[in-house]
Amino acid sequence: MARRGTELGGVVSGIVSRGFYMVQRNTPQKTLESWKQIAAYLDRSERTVRRWESNEGLPVHRREHEKQDTVFAYRHEIEAWSRLRTKCPGPGAIEEAVDHPAANAANAYLAEHDAITRTMHCYIAGARAGDGDVMRPAFHPSATISGYCQGVEYTGSVEHVFRWIDENGPAPNIAPRFARIEIIETIAVVHLEVQHWSGKLAGANARASDVFTLLKCDGEWKITHKLFHWH
Amino acid sequence: MTKSEYLTEYDKIVQAMQMYIDGSKQGKSELMRPAFHANASFFGYAGGQLALGTQFLFDWIDRNGPAPNIDPRVVSVDILDTIAVVRLEVAGWSGNLAGSGVRMSDLFTLLKTPDGWKIIQKAFHWHAAERSLAA
Repeated sequence: MARRGTELGGVVSGIVSRGFYMVQRNTPQKTLESWKQIAAYLDRSERTVRRWESNEGLPVHRREHEKQDTVFAYRHEIEAWSRLRTKCPGPGAIEEAVDHPAANAANAYLAEHDAITRTMHCYIAGARAGDGDVMRPAFHPSATISGYCQGVEYTGSVEHVFRWIDENGPAPNIAPRFARIEIIETIAVVHLEVQHWSGKLAGANARASDVFTLLKCDGEWKITHKLFHWH
Repeated sequence: MTKSEYLTEYDKIVQAMQMYIDGSKQGKSELMRPAFHANASFFGYAGGQLALGTQFLFDWIDRNGPAPNIDPRVVSVDILDTIAVVRLEVAGWSGNLAGSGVRMSDLFTLLKTPDGWKIIQKAFHWHAAERSLAA
């Protein structure tokens, strides 16, 4: 039997170097070259974005010069930081869907469908931002994952997904598609196809097929299992 | 995946499902255990209670005893290289814990391992809302 319960980071270490190389080659490193440009990009004043840098970790870089340093920022880092601050749909949003029973079955179905896609978008937001904590609310605490990584069978706690996502970093270009959403009262299966994965561990332009199983717990849909296949 | 490859994998997956069905019918978890991955999980609500973990399932199957009239249908089998999803509808559940004539919907996810296709998760929905899976 293949290794089980191995740290995912360890398992995929073989592709790390390829990942760095490909990221540098393929990811457009578009930069914003002044406070003015950064402020315009975020649609805020220069004063606000300076405060965000000093207080809230807005990723701004500096180049040293003789007289005065200049600042610059990577768009993809700014976008990732911005997404991090975008809250996942809270219980309120989901209760809203559940507490308003629709007039007919078709609408009740759509309400569940939408609640499920909101949970999935929480996962997607975390994947895009490269932040495990962003996607954590989408998962049941006892959730597990399984699949093959570089030909090695991997099964384990969902905590390993969060760590992998953190280590992988932002994947700003991921293009997710719902291939299938099937709901049976309190359980559901979602087949998600994700193109254009990138990052330190994912490499560049990778494709993953994921099958998520969800459970409706106290009116909220939570992922209980993520089954993945890297292409 | 060519058509014949798909059918070969399909048959292997259905064989794993048959082990689950045989174990359910005879009330013997030992018959279904080989179909499950060592790290498999089990999730679902039964009468408002969350049932968690394959040990819960295996204990339940053993305590429920024979369910000779279960009537299973494979509703869908989707295969993506090394992973698969099976939806199983089982009518006619009976036994010490199940009562009689109840229906279960199951979503199985499977992983293709060197030892063959293994169930990595079973999620279920029990259609008899008033009845608990607990004894």
